[in-house]
Amino acid sequence: MNDESVDGFPAAAVRARARAGTAALFPPLGSYGRELFGARSAPVDGGDALETARLVPPVFMPERLKKLIELGREPVFDDVCLDTGIGGFAAPAPVFVSAFGSTELGSADLGLAVSAQAGRLGIPMVIGENVVPVHGYAATSVLLRRIRAYLDAVPDSLGGVVIQQSTEDADAEVWNLLYSDPLTEPLLASGRLGFELKVGQGAKPGMGGMTVVDKATAARLNGRYPLRDVLGTEDLWLRSSSPGTFTDEILTRQIQLMRNNFPRARVWVKLPPGRDVAGACAIAWANGADAVTVDGAEGGTGWAPLALLDHVGLPLAECLRRIGAPAGCLLASGRMWEGSRAVKSLALGARAVGLGRAALIAVDEAPDRGLIRLLEALTLEMRLLISALGRYAADALSVEDIWFSGTEGVHADR
Amino acid sequence: MDSRPDPPASLGAHLRSPITRHALRVQQQILAAVRATLAGEGFVELLPPVIGPVTDPGARGAKQLDVDYYGHRYKLMTSAILYKQASLLSFPKLFYIAPNVRAEPPETASTGRHLNEFHQIDVEIAGAGRIDAQGFAERLLTRIVRHVLETAADDLAALGRDPAAFGDVLGGPFSTFTHAEAVKRLRDLQHSQSESAEIDWAGEELLSRQESAPFFITGYPKGSRGFYDREDPLAPGRLANFDLIAPDGFGELVSGSEREFEYPAVVTRIRETGENPAKYGWYLDVLREGIPNSAGFGMGLERVTRFLTGLGAVWQVCAYPKVPGRIGP
Repeated sequence: MNDESVDGFPAAAVRARARAGTAALFPPLGSYGRELFGARSAPVDGGDALETARLVPPVFMPERLKKLIELGREPVFDDVCLDTGIGGFAAPAPVFVSAFGSTELGSADLGLAVSAQAGRLGIPMVIGENVVPVHGYAATSVLLRRIRAYLDAVPDSLGGVVIQQSTEDADAEVWNLLYSDPLTEPLLASGRLGFELKVGQGAKPGMGGMTVVDKATAARLNGRYPLRDVLGTEDLWLRSSSPGTFTDEILTRQIQLMRNNFPRARVWVKLPPGRDVAGACAIAWANGADAVTVDGAEGGTGWAPLALLDHVGLPLAECLRRIGAPAGCLLASGRMWEGSRAVKSLALGARAVGLGRAALIAVDEAPDRGLIRLLEALTLEMRLLISALGRYAADALSVEDIWFSGTEGVHADR
Repeated sequence: MDSRPDPPASLGAHLRSPITRHALRVQQQILAAVRATLAGEGFVELLPPVIGPVTDPGARGAKQLDVDYYGHRYKLMTSAILYKQASLLSFPKLFYIAPNVRAEPPETASTGRHLNEFHQIDVEIAGAGRIDAQGFAERLLTRIVRHVLETAADDLAALGRDPAAFGDVLGGPFSTFTHAEAVKRLRDLQHSQSESAEIDWAGEELLSRQESAPFFITGYPKGSRGFYDREDPLAPGRLANFDLIAPDGFGELVSGSEREFEYPAVVTRIRETGENPAKYGWYLDVLREGIPNSAGFGMGLERVTRFLTGLGAVWQVCAYPKVPGRIGP
């Protein structure tokens, strides 16, 4: 798997966690007792507003007192409860696996490893790589095998599988096909199947998916997708998906149709980082969406033209600021891999964060336990940070827990 | 109504059963009544298409089945609604006895009302509105019941179906509830029912059990039905459509509606169902040229037969039943 990325995703750090798990959270042990440590001058990623924002514990902690009274002893970070509900599913941590860009999923084995480990962890998992329109349902062994791998590993009453459908997938009727497939029946029977309506994505808001295909694939897909010879070689073609047209009425009716046609499935909606993201969230929740995922522009993991990666879409922090106090279950994705970004997102109103590329890199590094170790590290880090804020539950965070440099709080202009 | 029997052990056993024989004789009389009534009112019977590049989009988990057609993915008709509308260019009043194929989710096996292969008496009337279509559906059902009572009394008797069960069917105009009223009635009966969705199967049966005569439910919410059911211009968000529900727990017999027929409205409605309108190219081309406004309905042949015979499940009134979730002949 190629770690070269245009948006500076910290693949090496993810790989370190996939190998070492919680040990990677701390400075090298060889330095213990011999070196002095303090704040580093610049954040690790030097990236977006969420990276540069700081978590700001108070001095006085009435919630810590409450926990002390409940426990009859001083609380510590292990007392932080991360159990939560994510879009209608029970989860042991405020974390889920997002859909991967179709360009990222280099091999089916990676997807299967992620599925098996997400299942073992009991965290919800979204699947959505346009496999059906491209390969056909009969050939969708990848999709079905990923569901089976998850099901084989997941504990009773935890987690869930969410199948994403884009406009192209709708033509292929992915949801309809899966809803009546015997494989999904155990998920339906236990209330652990969801469908995610993909309205857009972080990497290229306003655009549909894009992949590079070889000549033979291009010939096969001709007529179904726009194919352009713009990549400077005859052997490779640019395949684009249509983004799909949405208005408030179209979003409303599509969600209602999902609830009507698939009453036993949870309804998730994935939004691009659009300037009207708050209004779109409100419509989704008002019509009964169990979760709305906002994918920040800086965090998009799919392949995209450079102009879109560099210049288009709101950063995740600004999306969350515009949404404000969410009226439903809000999920945040985009460049998630470690605890501080996750906890900052929770403080800004998200119920959980989605791991996309981090999950893939982790299993690429350590096929058996990479995602499990990444989660062990992430959840320990979240417990440390949340307890430092004097909170003891993932959903107890608030906007006062975060500070953006040069401002008095989250609402000031960055 | 009989209790829900288990599906037959074999097709041979099913075809040998006297119950099957009596039910199919009743069905024959239903078809005779339908054809006589419709011909008498100036309808033309067309033979329906079996495959096409698109069909009625699936709903509630009902899968479409594909056919490889010279390398193109064609569909077996889940309903011929799009062709029915287009055929108004030839005849203003038409009908099919149309075979439809839908791979229903296995959970529908227990409703007693779902088959993967079934037939609709598919009627379309140019220039008609919802109330016209409702009135015609009522008239047609009444004629069917009267004709079957006259011509298949022995079969009904052999099946233990008491003709008195149809007293209220023949007794006068069917009542009408709006979808909103139906939701309220269900909630009053402690049944949780979404106001923005289709009446669920259990809810429909519950309402059906409260009544002794067929009744209409009108004005389903937009988003609960296909894009071709017209949005009520006087009640945005509601469709100018109806279901005709049989009493005594037999449930839905007919679904009908005024149709969307103007190109921009249809494209927008298709998009509201999440699809790319390009898929419906041939149909949209016809709409761009213009088709008459219309209303129509589909009456489930097996469902009507089950209602007439009083049997517990639709597979009992079908010679070659395909029960949801079962692989069989």
